[in-house]
Amino acid sequence: MSNSIKMVRMLGAVSLLCGLLIVVTHVNTLSRIRHNQETIMKESVAQLLPGIQKQIIYGVEPNGDLTIQAGIESEGKRYLIAGYDSGGKLLGVVIEGSERGYADVITAMYAYSPEQKTVTGFSVIEMRETPGLGDRINKDANFLENFKALDASHPIKTVKHGTKKEPWEIDAISGATISSRAVGRLLDKSVQETVPVIEKNLDRIQRGN
Amino acid sequence: MSEISCHPKTTELKSRDPFLNGLWKQNPVFVQVLGMCPTLAITNSVRNAMAMGLATTFVLFCSNALISMVRKIVPKQVRIATYIAIIATSVTVVDYLVKAISIPVYKALGAYIPLIVANCIILERAEAFAGKKPVVPAMLDGLGMGLGFAFALTCLGAVREVLGAGTFLGVSLFGPHFEPWVLFLLPPGGFISLAVWLLTFTLWRERADRRRQAETVKLEEPAVEVYS
Repeated sequence: MSNSIKMVRMLGAVSLLCGLLIVVTHVNTLSRIRHNQETIMKESVAQLLPGIQKQIIYGVEPNGDLTIQAGIESEGKRYLIAGYDSGGKLLGVVIEGSERGYADVITAMYAYSPEQKTVTGFSVIEMRETPGLGDRINKDANFLENFKALDASHPIKTVKHGTKKEPWEIDAISGATISSRAVGRLLDKSVQETVPVIEKNLDRIQRGN
Repeated sequence: MSEISCHPKTTELKSRDPFLNGLWKQNPVFVQVLGMCPTLAITNSVRNAMAMGLATTFVLFCSNALISMVRKIVPKQVRIATYIAIIATSVTVVDYLVKAISIPVYKALGAYIPLIVANCIILERAEAFAGKKPVVPAMLDGLGMGLGFAFALTCLGAVREVLGAGTFLGVSLFGPHFEPWVLFLLPPGGFISLAVWLLTFTLWRERADRRRQAETVKLEEPAVEVYS
């Protein structure tokens, strides 16, 4: 009996100590981690919308309305980042989307131009695709060329390498078809979900309020 | 007199022994062949391999130190549970630290850091060494085993990155005309490079052993002659 109490006491003490250690580390690293994540996001946005001077983050409410947010709050809630040049003119909207890839979920950001109704840039935020093959979706210059002016008014589709004919088609990377198709699905799904929201609130986004 | 002067030297050598043991003689990958999951999965680039090695070293060092500290007060029946709690805590701490220090490294290792908990090297060292020995040797053992693991991972990472991507630490080695041997970045390449390294290391050790034996025999030769 006394032995059992000893065991419970010991396990309790160890758990308490471990919990304390974790909490101390968490509290001390929290601001650094937030800062790092924001830097990554800012870099991606600046790369997707060259010339950006000002940005507004809009949270997308379930009814399709937009609310201005100070930052990206909770994971799971959809958001848009509207970028403006120094004159306050809307350059484009950056949207985040995710889709199952070859190894794990691919999370990416892309720039959408409401004026031309095209995707104008693409950047992967997080992926675990095969190094040397699937991870080329973020490096391969020919593949990234697809997203300079990708027609988003028509369902986006990934086609076999070298067979791209239409402006809404994505020319896949040979040897990384699954990852390339995932990018196509990601864009198609996200565009269909988000573009109606942008259209609905376009005046407001253009005014920047 | 000579015995007395020799004594401190021997103890000094002994206290460093757990460190060298892990680093070389009992290298967790090349000799004990433990922790194969991260060894094969994470070594497709030198940077990832080093980061994983160092993260594991940190976990081993912390868990060995803490386990050695509590070894006398933990009842035998719950020791494994205690060890796992301590190991899991060290891993969580590493997870936060890596996230705070470098997001690119975290992105590369993300899925693998929580798996350090299940790396058999860590529990093995806790059970075989830290749970029985005082704090300082346990810390040295953790450091040695960890750095030995990091060294082995870096060896594998170097082969795989140079052949599979034509780069070393991200720096291009062969210019733009090099056609990368992508197989080496994929799982089969991991197995092949591991096999080649294991073979090289084993042959090397055997040769060193044979040489040492030959030397011992040479020293003992006069005695053998007397008996013959």
